[in-house]
Amino acid sequence: MKVYQCDQCEYASVSNKYRCPSCRTGQLQEQDVSSKGSVYSYTNIHIAPAEFAHLAPYTVALIQLDESKAKVTARTDGNVEIGDVAELDYVEDGAYIYRKC
Amino acid sequence: MTNVYIEGIGMTKFGKFVDKSMKQLLVEASIEALEDAGNPKVDAVFVGNFMGGSIGNQEILSALVANELGLGYIPTAKVEGACASGGIALRQGIIGILSGEYDTVLIAGVEKMKHASTADVTQAINAAMDNDSNEKQAGLTFPGFFGVLANRYFYETEATKEHLAMIALKNRENALNNPLAQFQKPTTMEEIMEARIITSPLGLFDCSPTTDGAAALVITRKKGAIHIRSSAQSSGPTQMQDADDLLSLPAVRESGRLAYEKAGVGPEDIDVVEIHDCFSMTEMLAIEELGFFNKREGWLAVEQGRTKATGDKPVNTSGGLLSRGHPIGATGVAQMYQLVQQLRGTAPNQVEHARLALAQNLGGTGSYSTVHILERL
Repeated sequence: MKVYQCDQCEYASVSNKYRCPSCRTGQLQEQDVSSKGSVYSYTNIHIAPAEFAHLAPYTVALIQLDESKAKVTARTDGNVEIGDVAELDYVEDGAYIYRKC
Repeated sequence: MTNVYIEGIGMTKFGKFVDKSMKQLLVEASIEALEDAGNPKVDAVFVGNFMGGSIGNQEILSALVANELGLGYIPTAKVEGACASGGIALRQGIIGILSGEYDTVLIAGVEKMKHASTADVTQAINAAMDNDSNEKQAGLTFPGFFGVLANRYFYETEATKEHLAMIALKNRENALNNPLAQFQKPTTMEEIMEARIITSPLGLFDCSPTTDGAAALVITRKKGAIHIRSSAQSSGPTQMQDADDLLSLPAVRESGRLAYEKAGVGPEDIDVVEIHDCFSMTEMLAIEELGFFNKREGWLAVEQGRTKATGDKPVNTSGGLLSRGHPIGATGVAQMYQLVQQLRGTAPNQVEHARLALAQNLGGTGSYSTVHILERL
């Protein structure tokens, strides 16, 4: 899992930014970290936009990574609860698909 | 203190109007506001609208208004800020008057959504997310975002789905007295709790509907009875995964703080409130972020009935987005319609002796927020 860590402050994000939005001086450095994390929260989406309607119902979870301050919004394979340990299964069309460990 | 005054208000009924064009709705509300203000000379028009282009194939809304109403060759503009389009349009008008450029401005907001399918509307609303992100690709939606917030809120507090249902029920009960509201059929806690799930834990009644409708205001530098005591706007995270604190909406907190500071009042001074309850969960967080109740304790205030029309901090006496309806671009303007009525003493669910009123309008995943504080002179 790639995360972008500021070289001047504690800011970290899974999405790259043009510069650090927290301290506005630092550059974000690409880091490889474990995809493993725990479910911070989630929702089961029953009503979906047209482009995802064929997947519904599906689960979207916010994962707190173990090795970074960054959180990642992912679709999960099956239901999850807050606190569940999960890791990246695969990437599909730009989406991270996680599964429970 | 802006020394800008609201002189006229207008609003169509909110609901489903397949036979009316967006222009018709817009013009109807505008005529009502202009007549209410005594048909003054208008120097500019700002229209709040979000999806007229994407699902209605209709832009140039502000020029349509000026043209249809014969307002002259005056400057006009459409303002887009997702669900905060209306509040931001109002703010542009206020700034235009404060700059000295205009004396009197017509503000309107409109949306027409009922002709499109739910999947298409959800898709169009998703334009208010960051396309260039793994988050949108994961399939997150706006109801989904607030579902994620709700599950975390339940985890960190003693709140349950029942507290969200209490908000939905309160707003429905308020809408029953509002002839312009979309939903005027009574409901029950049981019906709300058992309704089909949209994005867990949010059910049908926790989510604002799709709506057709328009609202309008005439604002002016000429002194009148309703003073816009302050106008503030802030930005916030455009992605859920980048939020520092998932249970905070920084744009709401900051726009509230600025509005209080500029007005020289605090949350305790506010008599009546219209909050952007696009979801029941959004109202829960906003009553905390605006300082009416402590963080993580909004649910307690809801349980005690403090936000009911009869409570000490009445919230959404119009029925809110949940039951008055949510024609996206019109919402921020419709909030002012209700609050001006409250200050004039003619509102549905009238709050006795209301003198200071606050409106908060939200856009995106907390990406935009405006707060306006009104005062009866």
